[in-house]
Amino acid sequence: MNFEACFRLLADRLKHDVIVTSAGNCSEVWWEITRETERVFYLEASMSLASLFAAGIALGSPERTVIAFSGDGAFCMNPGMLLVERQLALPNLKHFMVSNRCYGSTNDLAHPFGDFVDYAALAKASGVERVYSFSTVEGLGQGLDDMIRVPGHAFAVLEVEPLGRHAPSPPLDGPEVKFRFGRYLERTGGRPVFDAPLDPK
Amino acid sequence: MPAMSEPVDKVAGRIADVAADCGIALVASLPDGWITPLITQFDRDARFRHVAVNREESAIGLCSGAFFGGIGAFALMGASGFLTCIYAITKINYTYQIPLLIGITLRGRPGDRAKFHQSNGLYLEPVIRSIDMPFVAIERGDDIARLATAYRHSRVLSRPVVVGFTREVLRGEA
Repeated sequence: MNFEACFRLLADRLKHDVIVTSAGNCSEVWWEITRETERVFYLEASMSLASLFAAGIALGSPERTVIAFSGDGAFCMNPGMLLVERQLALPNLKHFMVSNRCYGSTNDLAHPFGDFVDYAALAKASGVERVYSFSTVEGLGQGLDDMIRVPGHAFAVLEVEPLGRHAPSPPLDGPEVKFRFGRYLERTGGRPVFDAPLDPK
Repeated sequence: MPAMSEPVDKVAGRIADVAADCGIALVASLPDGWITPLITQFDRDARFRHVAVNREESAIGLCSGAFFGGIGAFALMGASGFLTCIYAITKINYTYQIPLLIGITLRGRPGDRAKFHQSNGLYLEPVIRSIDMPFVAIERGDDIARLATAYRHSRVLSRPVVVGFTREVLRGEA
């Protein structure tokens, strides 16, 4: 499916959830479409740690749905992330793995793994019970609520075409991302994040 | 697992007590032979959620996210595993200024007979210094309380702090 159409649908439907995006196209396209700066943590250049970072948030925020995006380049660096996710089995953690079969952040340089690896089967073999694979926008639209709204850890493969163009990164320095995101969580009912919370009064 | 000696049990318990008292509730670990009893302690201690991760970098990711979940976290690992985490630490914790307490073994010091750990003796502390990471050595039993100081310092500094345990402390010999 078309990368941008896929993300437009997700941005349209996932209006109230906490989002963690990984480096490259996931962060760039989410930023391009939404311009969001509060409920999204743009975790750029973590090399595979977006879903476990999201798991840490989800662990302390059982009342929220936390959504992680990984690129397939990052995923292939650390597929063992699924073993930890399975062990945690957090009912509010939803993990999308965006398979564009290239390194989108580095000029769409192709990698070979998607040609022979069945990521969904890999997730199932890792013990993840709720595994989805979406290759069309229509299919994603039909299956999204089941994945997101039914409690239980879930993993989905998004089969997309390479973006095919350069997209700018979110123009936010790390500390700005941290404070906007952390204050958002505090303001919307999460546990205190910072040692000196802002007093709205 | 071999039976733990009484001093080892007591040391693990003291470390866990300090960790719990300062607000740590999540421990993510990968083993090193020296900290097996300590990991066992955290795993069976109801005050903590212990997560055995697949690699040390995953502990960095999980514990960094836990900061935003409002959970005090401790990433526990061997010296060699810590050295694999430099990228994750600098890209996540330094870029975004996210506090994190990391516990490691001080492998490769004189007395460590493992030849494959001698490179840690040569390069571990210089690498820590090279990235300007505050380092707190826990070399005597009385130093265990410094774990709490290190945890609080990471939050004040908004960066990671690493505490290093000697073998003698972990065995209850110092």
